Amino acid sequence: MTNDTQDLVEQVRAGTSQRVRATARLMSLVENYPERIPEFLVGAADWPQARMVIGLTGPPGCGKSVLADRLIRAFRTRNPHNSIGVIAVDPSSPFTGGAFLGDRLRMMRHASDPNVFIRSAATRGHIGGLLLGIKAFIRVLGLAGCRTVLIETVGVGQNETEIVDVADLVVVAIAPGHGDAVQLLKCGLMEVGDIFVVNKGDCEGAAQLYAQLLAVLRLNANGQGRRGADSCLVSALHGRGVEELVDLLEKRAADSEEAWRSRRRQTMVDDVKEAVLEEARQRLSRRLGTGPLATKDFTRILRGEITVPGFVDELLQQLTGTGEVKDHHGGG
Amino acid sequence: MDTRVSETKEAKRIPQRVLIGKVGLDGHDRGAKYVAHILRDGGYEVIYTGIRRTPKQIVETAIQEDVAVIGLSLLSGAHKRLLQQVMDLLKERDASDIVVIAGGSIPSADIPDLKAMGIAEVFRPGVSSQSILETFASLVKARRPAA
Repeated sequence: MTNDTQDLVEQVRAGTSQRVRATARLMSLVENYPERIPEFLVGAADWPQARMVIGLTGPPGCGKSVLADRLIRAFRTRNPHNSIGVIAVDPSSPFTGGAFLGDRLRMMRHASDPNVFIRSAATRGHIGGLLLGIKAFIRVLGLAGCRTVLIETVGVGQNETEIVDVADLVVVAIAPGHGDAVQLLKCGLMEVGDIFVVNKGDCEGAAQLYAQLLAVLRLNANGQGRRGADSCLVSALHGRGVEELVDLLEKRAADSEEAWRSRRRQTMVDDVKEAVLEEARQRLSRRLGTGPLATKDFTRILRGEITVPGFVDELLQQLTGTGEVKDHHGGG
Repeated sequence: MDTRVSETKEAKRIPQRVLIGKVGLDGHDRGAKYVAHILRDGGYEVIYTGIRRTPKQIVETAIQEDVAVIGLSLLSGAHKRLLQQVMDLLKERDASDIVVIAGGSIPSADIPDLKAMGIAEVFRPGVSSQSILETFASLVKARRPAA
């Protein structure tokens, strides 16, 4: 872990007046320097972790942010001493790189609550409904003392299901007005929920959608050995059904906390693997270099003088031969 | 690896984060949304916090979001008092490195006072989108984050 990261980590740990700023800055480091993400995964083995990481996903405009606001309030009321961290993700423009981050708008009443830390994040080109550094974000919030972490994904279509790999528990929110019951049979989004919420329960068509959802979930439960999904009908806007949802979440946490912990240990091994592969990729990429020499290498392959696997063998031999990673084409 | 080269590449690529919102009791958010839109299209990540926020909510949000700039729209006439509160809270939280910009129906006679309290720029009605983008770019560039 580099020095500036370590300084910030100590500030967060020590709980100084700069704790909130330091937490925010750590998250900016993760966002701005993706190559440093492994520091936050591999180097963070002794950091405290959240008890429950909830993923909240669903199509655009189905009320995820308002539901998140209600969940924050419910968790804070039930456990006044526990902190909650929220990561609200919205898409970056693929054209300008800019982003309009509007989820937090619905949660502003918590802005002056010292036990609520909310961070908006743009996807910055990452596919899957989250940002590249999401796992590091979760670790930073754990370090900052958050017992619960709530992640709101971008408004998803049918196939952005990365949240499954990141959250302990996935809540899929849907709302009436987005198509008929056939939509509930499609793969992707409808396969990832531990709890399905029909939001906008006060709107026309909500009861019918909920009935259709129950029918589909019953079929799912019959077909698979794993625990069936729970469901509830909610009106986040009017605060109806939210307590039942929190009951469901708490029950899952009580039943699965142990399983979640062992799963996280397992994924930490995967994270290390990712970090190793990323480092290897970067070294190879530097060895390969850019410019005329790299083009010369590729031209050899194009001419059939050497095969791709043969060339990779050469490359790896060069790497192990020097034992040193220098940009041999870059003249650096 | 030549870190100098890669750093300049990074600097180009990293989007700047800004907060756009309104403090006080007036509910007219057209201007704030317009500015948010311009900045979004200019490659900024805009955290939009909406209307009727307190100075404390704005400052806490700006800190959690680690923004470079806070842009506040005011049409209520209470700009001096509200902006002074924002500046005081930023100082209290050791976050005076965050640049504050104001916009809205602010009499030009008040601008020297606002600048004196540390407001970096005041946009009055009719300012061009080009000028807004140029001002944000130069203020972000000149900003020296706290160590």
